[in-house]
Amino acid sequence: MAEVKVKKETNLSEPAEVENRIKELCQQFPQGITDQMIQNVLPHLEPQQRAMAINKLLSLGQLDLMRNSSGLLYRLKDTQGASKMKGSDNQEKLVYQIIEDAGNKGIWSRDIRFKSNLPLTEINKILKNLESKKLIKAVKSVAASKKKVYMLYNLQPDRSVTGGAWYSDQDFESEFVEVLNQQCFKFLQSKAEAARDGKQSPMVQRNSSLATSHEVWKYICELGISKVDLSMDDIETILNTLIYDGKAEMTVIAAKEGTVGSVDGQVKLYRGVNAILQPTGLVKTPCGLCPVFHDCHEGGEISPSSCVYMNEWLDF
Amino acid sequence: MTAQEICLCGLLLREHFGEVVEKVGTHLLRSGAQNLRTIVHETNLSVDLVKKCLCVLVQHGACSFTVGRKGPGSPTEYHACGERILRVLRYSRYIYTAKTLYGDTGELIIEELLQRGHVTMSSTVKTVADRLTQNMEEGQSLDYSEVSSTFSKLVETHFLQRCPPVGAAGTSGGAAPAEAPATPAAPAAAASTAPPTAESFPECYTLPQVTLTGRGKRQLVPEDGEDQRNAKRAKMTSESHGDEGIYWQVNFERFHQYFRDQAIISAVANKMDQTSSEIVRTILRMSEVTTSPTATCTKPLSTNEIFRSLPASYNIPRHILDQYLTLLVDDPMEFVGKAGESGGGMFVVNLHKALANLARATLESIVQERFGSRSARIFRLLLRKRHLEQKQVEDFAMIPAKEAKDMLYTLLSHNLVQLQEIPKTPDFAPSRTFYLYTVNQLPTARMLLQNCYKTVANLIERRLFETKENKRLLEKSQRIEAILASLQASGAEPEQLSEVEEMISAPEKQQLDVLRLHVNKLDSAENQVDETIFILESYISSTSAS
Repeated sequence: MAEVKVKKETNLSEPAEVENRIKELCQQFPQGITDQMIQNVLPHLEPQQRAMAINKLLSLGQLDLMRNSSGLLYRLKDTQGASKMKGSDNQEKLVYQIIEDAGNKGIWSRDIRFKSNLPLTEINKILKNLESKKLIKAVKSVAASKKKVYMLYNLQPDRSVTGGAWYSDQDFESEFVEVLNQQCFKFLQSKAEAARDGKQSPMVQRNSSLATSHEVWKYICELGISKVDLSMDDIETILNTLIYDGKAEMTVIAAKEGTVGSVDGQVKLYRGVNAILQPTGLVKTPCGLCPVFHDCHEGGEISPSSCVYMNEWLDF
Repeated sequence: MTAQEICLCGLLLREHFGEVVEKVGTHLLRSGAQNLRTIVHETNLSVDLVKKCLCVLVQHGACSFTVGRKGPGSPTEYHACGERILRVLRYSRYIYTAKTLYGDTGELIIEELLQRGHVTMSSTVKTVADRLTQNMEEGQSLDYSEVSSTFSKLVETHFLQRCPPVGAAGTSGGAAPAEAPATPAAPAAAASTAPPTAESFPECYTLPQVTLTGRGKRQLVPEDGEDQRNAKRAKMTSESHGDEGIYWQVNFERFHQYFRDQAIISAVANKMDQTSSEIVRTILRMSEVTTSPTATCTKPLSTNEIFRSLPASYNIPRHILDQYLTLLVDDPMEFVGKAGESGGGMFVVNLHKALANLARATLESIVQERFGSRSARIFRLLLRKRHLEQKQVEDFAMIPAKEAKDMLYTLLSHNLVQLQEIPKTPDFAPSRTFYLYTVNQLPTARMLLQNCYKTVANLIERRLFETKENKRLLEKSQRIEAILASLQASGAEPEQLSEVEEMISAPEKQQLDVLRLHVNKLDSAENQVDETIFILESYISSTSAS
């Protein structure tokens, strides 16, 4: 009986103890600790208990959970935010928390109002206040030019907010996209031409006309036409527009792990292709392009016999 | 029949058969099957005239007749076949094809048959030989046997077919066989007429005629081989050639098959290269006669067979052929498919898929030329991804929101793009509704086909207008040409000739040249639009059949 009681006691006392030990450990290693380290320090701890303790700390907001290449990392939550909030009232804290939760996607002031149930004027005041303290910042979203979203000052805005490489100051840089589109096409075309001139067997010819997205990316980077750094994904979106232009084709092949430019063990291959048809017959006539085609009737105000487009075309 | 089609049919009928036939033809097209009395009553023409018109139409297969709907004994009803009338538009292409395949003789045979509807072999052969002989130098003449061998070649390759015997239609009272010749060009014909068409086909091409013509030919040549010039005068004499009652007509379906094959071959040549297109040509040629016109793909052929049938001049080694075939199969257009592994791999040409691809390229090309390449990008994007929201379209096509919106709405207003609303709540409130843009290829193709018909009608209209404007001038130049010809024939002196020539002043001559240029331009445009029509028509009929 006594033994059981002792065990129960230790069980009761341990969680707090374990939590403290973990916190100490975290303080020792500010860059974070792993499961393995906890195990080393507390060798007698059962995994279940360890998990319980960590979960509790996490739920209390005292610990942060992170992931790196070797596995999970625990780190003491920095209390800076809390210290920054010194001297502000509860409302301000609440708004700050809401903005913090929104992460790098940001949050619209109206959504803050819904979440906090504070009047809009009040919120505006608080936001201004926080902004002047450099705790938060306002970012204009590309989705709606008049919509301002708020996020923590030190955050890098999400792609969906800034629009990625294709936007500068909320404006879509269509010329830039167009230039890239042409350059990519040029690259694929020159590759296809080189393959055609190679006079090799058809299979080799086809294969050498294919270019991986990584190759295209490298080519564009070396050209130096872009002021901003483009990622492979950016180039792939450009290449996709070429596909929609009917100028390129894409094939996906499986790649060995570690091949340059492979994503999830796949490599995307692109190649320039020709259209299968010349412009079709209909559009070679003025009627095929006529803006008033549907209003045109013989004997009417607009008619084939009096058609100005037809006149121009015939006299061309 | 849509209004556009009827309008075009009317114009074609007017050009080829005159205004009276146009009146009867369009009336029949508009009002469906009617008996003679109603036609006479509603068109306000004399009975004789209407009868003659109907004769013309029936002769050309543009009109069929059935026993009245009210049962036996009720008056015969006439029904115009619009599809057949629209074929008139393509006559020049049929003739040209016959010329490229079978030389001048083939050209004239097809021309003769197209001009006269149903003709017997003997009379065709005679007329064609006469016409060719006339163009030859003095003292030379063309043997009938040459013409008839070309004729039999055309039959062998199914470009010509026998009209089902009319007698059967008359005696049995069953109108179906009579209808058969009119419908092969229109696979979309009513289901009831389809089976007789298929039934009558085997006897339509095959041997009976060939043996018959063999006899007929031997009778023909000795009879009036010496003097063709006279034979022309005495055309259709009562002499028996052994083929009376066997009439021939052009098999439009077969020509269309040929056009389709050509379109596929040229598409492959554009997309891949010349050699691949030659391989596809070989496959198509090998299965030309064995594949039914409505089949979705050709009969499977093994690599060995293809290899053996490749023209020797191409010099493609076996392993290269294998590579080409693999490439063709791998191509996303899927013109060629693999049907099996036996015999070194069995290959087919996916006819319907190819047609769908060609039609899609046609639609894309129309959008591209009409609305610019960025709209075409959106159009292709929607074709590829089916349903997209506006935001997604902007993102995928990488087009600024404002422009993309503009383009989408323009395409939408031209019915090239459709909008699908999916409400989250039943009240269709815009804020709680998904708006998905999509492209439906088949309806879009149908709409553009109608546009094509209207375009051709416009071009013809314009051509008629141009000629009407310059009628006086044309008549004058014709008169002068006639005078010149007669003077030349009578051996007039050069001064006399130049004097007559000067009757047309320089500005008049210029005007005539301009007119000729305009008419040529309009004519060639008509043919070009017809190519679009052909692709869209075959795509539509192939998808509705499958």
